[in-house]
Amino acid sequence: MSGQLGQIVFVVWRESVEALLVVGILNAWLAHQGKTPEAARGKRFLWAGVSVGVILAVVLAAMLLFFGELLSDDGQELFQASMVLVAAALIVQMVVWMRRHGRTLKRELEEGAARSMAEARWWGLFVLALLAVAREGSETVVFLYGILAGGHIDTGSSIGAAALGGVLAVATYWLLQLGGRYLSWRLFFRVTEIMLLLLAASLVMSGIDHLISLGIVPVLSRPLWDTSGVLEDGGAFGGFVSGLTGYRARPDLTSLITYAVYWLFVILLLRRTTAKKAA
Amino acid sequence: MRVVLFAAFASLIVATMPARAEDLPTFKVGMKDGVITPLRLEVPADKPFKIEIHNTGTTPAEFESLELRKEKVVAPGAVSFVVIKRVSKGEYKFFDDFHPNAPQVTVVAK
Repeated sequence: MSGQLGQIVFVVWRESVEALLVVGILNAWLAHQGKTPEAARGKRFLWAGVSVGVILAVVLAAMLLFFGELLSDDGQELFQASMVLVAAALIVQMVVWMRRHGRTLKRELEEGAARSMAEARWWGLFVLALLAVAREGSETVVFLYGILAGGHIDTGSSIGAAALGGVLAVATYWLLQLGGRYLSWRLFFRVTEIMLLLLAASLVMSGIDHLISLGIVPVLSRPLWDTSGVLEDGGAFGGFVSGLTGYRARPDLTSLITYAVYWLFVILLLRRTTAKKAA
Repeated sequence: MRVVLFAAFASLIVATMPARAEDLPTFKVGMKDGVITPLRLEVPADKPFKIEIHNTGTTPAEFESLELRKEKVVAPGAVSFVVIKRVSKGEYKFFDDFHPNAPQVTVVAK
């Protein structure tokens, strides 16, 4: 029984952690800007995105639960592909923007030079938070619904386990906020930047998988190698790792090219950003 | 940004369009609170096929396989399916992501 409950704690935490990473890091970044009206504005957009995301998560979950049989397989694939690819693009854009303006955001905003650009970026923040919460949130809602609707194990302790998973998720969020406050900003930014870029890589990989599934992108080869002996990409731990990094145990050429091109693109983009700032 | 939102909602609408009935070789899989039957599935290689998922349990299940590039949430008591367009010869795994510690299923494409 404790195994079952452990799974509930883990699934609830895991389903929330991806959205919490995105929202938590963005919130910590904004908090670093200090108590300026612009940072407050950014936070409003961020949390509005979270709120709308929660509503959308419930709507999506209800669709999955009650109309799941009616939904077209290809339609769902297309929907998921567009959600993950847009989210990935927004994450990369956000990281580049923070690199360029993180330090100088306050001053530039005061001068009004970057104001209209910031306006567009706040909407990006809104959509990013919305997508992050809606995507994983819908699965959490389905999962919790299953527990509340009465599982085969004791409902009371299941609800307790789900609540514990939720508490752990919130603790993870606070850990991020503390990190943002007490670690050196350079270190915190570096680490969270890499986490976000890895997450975006995983979203790109998942997007390509959906496109392959739809027959839009071809599979260029059989699996090139097999590292599932070292680390599987399924199951509890492996699935978690692949969800946060885009890891594949048996990648084919299409996946490999996608992953390589993504990182090449990101590295070039960040180099250019840094060079521009130095100039 | 408006374009993005529009695209998102357009695909949401596409996603709600009714599924086509397809005449594909179909393989039934039962998912019951973390127990999947059968644990081994033989499917044709290089041809489309369908896996029909019957969730006979009281908790939701999530069919998930990175190798088959599919994930699908199935409500308790519901029937859903995934269409796999083609896989080359080999062995693939899938599992129930809502019961991640339960045994995985091997799909053998011949």
